[in-house]
Amino acid sequence: MKANKIFGSLWFKCIAVLLVISCVAGGLLAILNDVLYVSAEERSARAIKKIYGKEMAYSIVLDVDSDNDDINEQIKYDNLGSINKIFTITNGDSEDILFQTTGEGGYKGTVTVWTQVNVNGNKYDIVKVVLESFTKETLMSKLSSSFFNNFCLTDVTADYNAGKDFTPYANENGFTNVATGATKSSNAGCNAVNCVLKYLREGGQNG
Amino acid sequence: MANIKKIATDGVITNNPTFRLVLGTCPTLALTTMAMNGIGMGAAVTFVLIFSNVIISLLRKVIPDQVRIPAFVLIIATFVTIVRLLLDKLLPDIYESLGLYLPLIVVNCIILARAESFASKNTVFASALDGLFTGIGFTLALTLMGAFREILGSGAIFGVSLWDFKIEFFSSSAGAFFTYALFIALFSLVMSAVEKRKRAKQSLPLTEVK
Repeated sequence: MKANKIFGSLWFKCIAVLLVISCVAGGLLAILNDVLYVSAEERSARAIKKIYGKEMAYSIVLDVDSDNDDINEQIKYDNLGSINKIFTITNGDSEDILFQTTGEGGYKGTVTVWTQVNVNGNKYDIVKVVLESFTKETLMSKLSSSFFNNFCLTDVTADYNAGKDFTPYANENGFTNVATGATKSSNAGCNAVNCVLKYLREGGQNG
Repeated sequence: MANIKKIATDGVITNNPTFRLVLGTCPTLALTTMAMNGIGMGAAVTFVLIFSNVIISLLRKVIPDQVRIPAFVLIIATFVTIVRLLLDKLLPDIYESLGLYLPLIVVNCIILARAESFASKNTVFASALDGLFTGIGFTLALTLMGAFREILGSGAIFGVSLWDFKIEFFSSSAGAFFTYALFIALFSLVMSAVEKRKRAKQSLPLTEVK
């Protein structure tokens, strides 16, 4: 009698209906999530296709999103930022290294970019820098593609470049690359590319 | 048949969610920098509208009145998540360009308004049609605004460059508000002209009798 009263009550019906909807929706979404899952490899292939305009064969050196513990450890540089992904790509006769780096020192936020570096013997040239994403940077509209183009075609191994970094502030130790009205954000953008310079120089030093 | 015609004209013209009811303003202002964004967002909202309307209409006699809003939100959120999963897998470029506004469809007034005022009181077929035509109305409005802003603000249409001339104001937030106001004014002007004509036609037989 008491059970009948509980099952017949309005509050029980309300809870039961919401529970059934939640369970059915949850089950449906679990199945679809499995079917439509986009793997880290698929995302990497998409990013590469976006930069090169076509699908390219690549091998992974580092990918923080990978499940493989051997290649998913992020490289961090104090006061600069971090390297999240490194891919090597065969581009015609030469080889490219593609970096995804996150630069710090922005307006309380970060700027993440893709940097395509062409390897020609012992010479490294930055071919392309593409903005991937940013956090807490309100003036990112000031950093147009022309800002990122300023990083290109820099022989990062040449003597005159050794030890120098990109900086939004004019000084004798760096290459100035500033976006007027967004100095903090351009600092984070510069630092993202500086992570690549640091990695290549250290890689060169280590052979 | 007459009912279908009424649902269609209501959704697309008479009660156009963007220009007449001024609903879904957030994505309208933020995403209409490009015509393609309008189509992408409109298609996503139409998908959610159709399926949430159908399910809500199916369950309208089962869902107690006291918990109808949380139940509607649960159903809408499920379909929004499905749209997100589908777009991320099949159309990643559109998924990226819609960004944050895609999950925000859950709180889009248009969908909750149609669920509450139409789907919860009508048959499954009528609700599906209402979802379809309201979605088409929203898509058309966003695409029109997107095309207008893209042509003037970027000198392009659907990403294809037309000329070098551009007025950057139309790509900015202020340009979005200006364009929205302009379209609402134009739409109201056309609607009132049509209504005036309709009223004049209705009074015509009386004049003839005289």
